[in-house]
Amino acid sequence: MEESGVISDYVDRLARELDFDRSMSIRVRQEVADHLWEAVAADAAGNLPEVQRRAVANFGDPHVIAAQFAVVSVARHSRRTGVAAILAIAGVFIAMKARVGWYAALEWVVGDDVRALSGVVALIDRYTFWLAVVIGLAGWAYIRSCRVPAAFHPTYLKQLRRFFLLCAAATAALFVAVMSDGVLTALWLSGTELSARSVVPILSMTIEIACAVVLVLHIRNLTRRTASTVTLLRT
Amino acid sequence: MLKGHLDMIVLAALSAGSAHGYAVIEEIRRRSGGAFDLPEGTIYPALHRLEQGGLLASRWVTAGSGRRRRVYALTRRGSRALAERRAVWEQFSEAIGDLLGGAKPWKSPA
Repeated sequence: MEESGVISDYVDRLARELDFDRSMSIRVRQEVADHLWEAVAADAAGNLPEVQRRAVANFGDPHVIAAQFAVVSVARHSRRTGVAAILAIAGVFIAMKARVGWYAALEWVVGDDVRALSGVVALIDRYTFWLAVVIGLAGWAYIRSCRVPAAFHPTYLKQLRRFFLLCAAATAALFVAVMSDGVLTALWLSGTELSARSVVPILSMTIEIACAVVLVLHIRNLTRRTASTVTLLRT
Repeated sequence: MLKGHLDMIVLAALSAGSAHGYAVIEEIRRRSGGAFDLPEGTIYPALHRLEQGGLLASRWVTAGSGRRRRVYALTRRGSRALAERRAVWEQFSEAIGDLLGGAKPWKSPA
């Protein structure tokens, strides 16, 4: 690979500016290096360092270019978060259905002493879960409908804020549903000894908690990314 | 002014066939007779943005030089978007042409 001097310094600097998105940084570095070498090959006037400097100057300020990429990066990650919300909700649903199916297959019923409490918790579980589904789908559809802008203008920032709110609401509802499932599972397992038949309820609860945690991490990453983009655009 | 139409310009440059970033810039220069001499770095965020929007698709290829290069192509959605933008632009440019050319002299109602 012919990478030395002015061009390699430039692509290194651009890659550093794009550090907020590792995969984007790697891809852009390769694309831009190829572009600059192509520009050098097409420019016959002057010696190599001079031609390289001209190619780099024509390309533009790495900071300005990184700021334009930052908007694309935020848009990409917000769409991914929308998909992650749907997948997390689907994961919780599958785990929940697997546990209920397991109870039915083993003809496992909850104890009489906790039946009333279990009914109330199941009601909370059902409503909060469907609330999470509706809000999660709304958030996903909303962010998909938003056009990826060329710049980080206030309208897009507002759209992102709305999406964060939808995601936060869906996550909160999902957390309540998962906690309710945890309580229900504890009620179901209470009074029984831990055995092989307890594996499915415990495993399904672990999956539900993992799905909810993954969603929270996605949202946290997105908020951090957006904040660093706003900072990058201000400097 | 050019900035506002960058997406349409890039889509139009790729309507001839798939190309990498440098070739897209060259095509824009060639087809505009050198009138659109864009800062080269601005093309790449636009390419990524259009890909993100589903209007372009891209893949890595190995060039004759041995370097890896990303080649972009219009998707079906991209072709449709270009056709729509072209129609809007033609309508707009016709209206401006009429306005500036004074095709129909304005008559006072008085």
